[in-house]
Amino acid sequence: MNRLKAIADGQNVESVIHEEVLAKDAVLSIENFSLFYGRKQALHSISMPIAKGMVTALVGPSGCGKSTLLRSVNRMNDLIDSVRTQGDMLLNKESIFAPGVDVIQLRKRLGMVFQKPNPFPMSIFENVVYPLRIDGERDKSVLMEVCEHSLRGAALWDEVKDRLNESGLGLSGGQQQRLCIARAIASDPEVLLLDEPCSALDPIATSKIEDLIDKLRGEYSILIVTHNMQQASRISDHTAFMYLGRLVEMAETSTIFTRPRLRETEDYITGRFG
Amino acid sequence: MSRSKAKRTMQTGVTAQGEPMVWLAGGMFAVACLMILSLLTLVLWQGLSTLWPRSYLVYVRPDGSLVTGELYGVRKEAASKKVYLRTGNYDVSNQHFLYADDADFASSEAWKPVDLWTVERKEWGNLYGFPKQLSWTDSTRERFAQDVRVALRETQKIDRALSHEKERLKQIDQRISKARLAIRAIELSEKVDLQSDIDEAVAAKFQAIQDRGVDSGVTPEVSSQATTNSAGWVPSRELSNAARKSIERYADVSLEAEAQMVSINEEIAKLEGMRGERVVTFELPITDPLGAIDWEWEQVRSGKIEDWSALQGIVPQLVADTGGSGESKAPENPSLQVEAIGEGQVIWELNRESKQPIRLVMRRSDDGKAEVFALREHAVVLADIVRFFAPNQMNLFQRLGVYLSRWWEFLLGEPREAGIEGGFFPAIWGTVVMTLIMSLAVMPFGVLAALYMREYAKRGLLLSIIRISINNLAGVPSIVYGVFGLSFFCYMVGGYIDGGPAKAGFDPWPSATWFSALAILAVVGIIAFSVAVLAGSLGTRGSKRKRYLRNASAVLWLATLFGIVVLLVRTPHFHGFYQAQLPNPTFGKGCLLWAACTLALLTLPVVIVATEEALAAVPNSLREGSYACGAGKWQTIHRIVLPYARPGIITGFILAMARGAGEVAPMMLVGAIPLATELPLDLEFPFLHGSRSFMHLGFQIYSLGFQSQNSEAAKPMVFTATLLLLTIVTLLNQTAIWLRARLRKRFQSSQF
Repeated sequence: MNRLKAIADGQNVESVIHEEVLAKDAVLSIENFSLFYGRKQALHSISMPIAKGMVTALVGPSGCGKSTLLRSVNRMNDLIDSVRTQGDMLLNKESIFAPGVDVIQLRKRLGMVFQKPNPFPMSIFENVVYPLRIDGERDKSVLMEVCEHSLRGAALWDEVKDRLNESGLGLSGGQQQRLCIARAIASDPEVLLLDEPCSALDPIATSKIEDLIDKLRGEYSILIVTHNMQQASRISDHTAFMYLGRLVEMAETSTIFTRPRLRETEDYITGRFG
Repeated sequence: MSRSKAKRTMQTGVTAQGEPMVWLAGGMFAVACLMILSLLTLVLWQGLSTLWPRSYLVYVRPDGSLVTGELYGVRKEAASKKVYLRTGNYDVSNQHFLYADDADFASSEAWKPVDLWTVERKEWGNLYGFPKQLSWTDSTRERFAQDVRVALRETQKIDRALSHEKERLKQIDQRISKARLAIRAIELSEKVDLQSDIDEAVAAKFQAIQDRGVDSGVTPEVSSQATTNSAGWVPSRELSNAARKSIERYADVSLEAEAQMVSINEEIAKLEGMRGERVVTFELPITDPLGAIDWEWEQVRSGKIEDWSALQGIVPQLVADTGGSGESKAPENPSLQVEAIGEGQVIWELNRESKQPIRLVMRRSDDGKAEVFALREHAVVLADIVRFFAPNQMNLFQRLGVYLSRWWEFLLGEPREAGIEGGFFPAIWGTVVMTLIMSLAVMPFGVLAALYMREYAKRGLLLSIIRISINNLAGVPSIVYGVFGLSFFCYMVGGYIDGGPAKAGFDPWPSATWFSALAILAVVGIIAFSVAVLAGSLGTRGSKRKRYLRNASAVLWLATLFGIVVLLVRTPHFHGFYQAQLPNPTFGKGCLLWAACTLALLTLPVVIVATEEALAAVPNSLREGSYACGAGKWQTIHRIVLPYARPGIITGFILAMARGAGEVAPMMLVGAIPLATELPLDLEFPFLHGSRSFMHLGFQIYSLGFQSQNSEAAKPMVFTATLLLLTIVTLLNQTAIWLRARLRKRFQSSQF
């Protein structure tokens, strides 16, 4: 408990990152990244690698900065006026926060799925090909191909293939979320960012999404924020435990859940704290 | 003991459930419903009943005078009832309507003359009378209706030919004024006076035609076609090529027109003559008393009267007709025709053989004697008759036929009698066209302004102040907008378009000053542009330098805009597009365009507020989702935000339309007129005539009911026009609502 107390007191605490994680080939590496909302610091010098082709889960109690960290990867926090950042992240060795970076181009390389399903008020087809549409793609055959590929990738094709021209808002909650995943992978992202994708869904829809994430493993690198320990243990390869804006421990999921190095992590995982 | 427990009873008190409040609230709701219902009922009843053809009644006063008219209403008062009669025959009686008290009548039962006609005329309103004679044919009373109907169809041909000739005259007129305007434009640009040259040219050309006419023995009118090819005129002084050409053209056109006009005017005179040839003579019931006569009714009816002297006192005319001179002498051998025209009523025709037989109406009075009424003859030109029917012998279906035909005319016809009678089509058309143009004008402005305020502008004090001001603008009395529209749009902008800065009330700068200012403005504009580009290229967000640059560029842009306006207003090089027409204003007066602009301004707050609310209702998650897909700001707005907000934006459109269509006060100042001869949107190039004044239903209601020469006669029409306005506004709104529902369905089928 000492570490967590120290963190709460505002002391600087070293994160523990297991060697097997560091050994993996990183698609995204976060380097000494700090973030401020106005004067309040939300992220404290976080450094962690996101392994290529694997699922990395971010866990931790509410308000620990998981979502903030996730949203920093595609610089969604730029939309908030008072946000200021330090440090950097490297996406395939290219800086994300360097002054000259074109944010829009950066976001095209990343896919993001939000907590609540947010299909656009248009047809299912248009929802999926939206990233291509904004790039000016008009070729119907290309769009159709991408649409089918993405919907198959999101395990939604069979359910909606006969009603691609119907409104995306007419789908059920779980289908809507898979539609959002299809949209996120339509532009073939380098990292897929999932921000608690199952928190607004019922258990059946949740399990479908989990199956889908399992299916996407290997093809895409996935960074997922979750509140659900079981979910993290079921679907992720790596798990990072965060607390009050700091990374506490990061390791392979099996390690974190069976024999974490830190007592605090074990307490949190087993539910004795948090 | 800290606190006592709350009192517990078995029943909830009246204050908790508040039953009285249900009654109060329900009562208020009922009152609101009642108000709406009674308003609708009033408008519907009055509006729908106005055009219904009613019976014509004749009441007799004890002194023998008549009270006649089409029955428009009965009002019961304490002891008696009052009848509201449309007397018609305005050209004879000088009155349209009258109220009469039942108690004043000798008998409360009215006489309904069966063969009386109601005749709607193009002028002077309705005529009520007995048809007596058709000038073009000898026909019997039974065949009158049929003959008149056939003849009316023929006169319609004459009317069409007439309007065709008048249209030709108008076109010739337009050609001449166009040629004259061309010369005027050259006079203005070359600063010369060409009047003497025009006179010379016309005289020379006229001489040339006459010479040739004499040579070849053809009349000048016929050979006028040839003049276009011959010169015939050598200018007496040095003139520019353009001036010479336009003067020649004017001379040719005017001479040709003169020749044509002679024949057209002849044709018109001929047609007018034909039109006036056919006349229907009617006998109008005269309300003046003639008196009772001491004859037995049975005698009267059978026509077996031996002693005529009694009649002598009542109808002095008889003396003249029978050749007597002052001596009171009864007609010796009057030939008499008696015709029953209803129960207890007959028409007497005395001296049938003479040219002007005397017709009298006799009615059985209560004591079994006879009462006498005379009829006055009145001729109506057949072509002036719009519609006629015999109101007292029509059944329900015939009445319905007249009713529908009147509605048809009301909706699609031209106004008659300064709008009191006839059609409202120009007013309907004007209202619809103006409302649509207004909506089209206000939508882009309102939506873009709201878009900026909601999506781009930085939230802060300034934005709040602006938002509050806009909301308050919605409450400004509309007449204020009218005054603004008149002074700004009509006089300033319109004046500028007509005659340049000088007409709009600005002194132009000297040319040199103006060009230097232009150069300075160009430099400022370029600087503003480069600063903006520079600020955009600075990637670092929130840095002080970038903010500074952005503010600077914004200020410079504003300065540039202001400079452009100043330069436009002060230019010495623009003299208006319609300078040649001056001093007749083209756009510098109330007209369709400025009315639409004024109303657009008036409805702008409504649109902005509605659009802002619609934009605020777009979930932020959608915007984030779009940004996360790598969409830019405009792509997000254009592909996600606007489509989602579209139903709400269309709601604003509907509100604006509803407000705009019913607005009257500003219309009075900026372009609506009681009687317009031309439609603002027609088949004549360029189809939409922004500079024309127009008729507007709302304004029509006002001007008919309160401004017309005889508002009493117009009052029934006011309700019909109100009904029409309500219907149009409802129709426009329903169309927009239907459109919105369709859009909504496209996006939000079934949610979850």
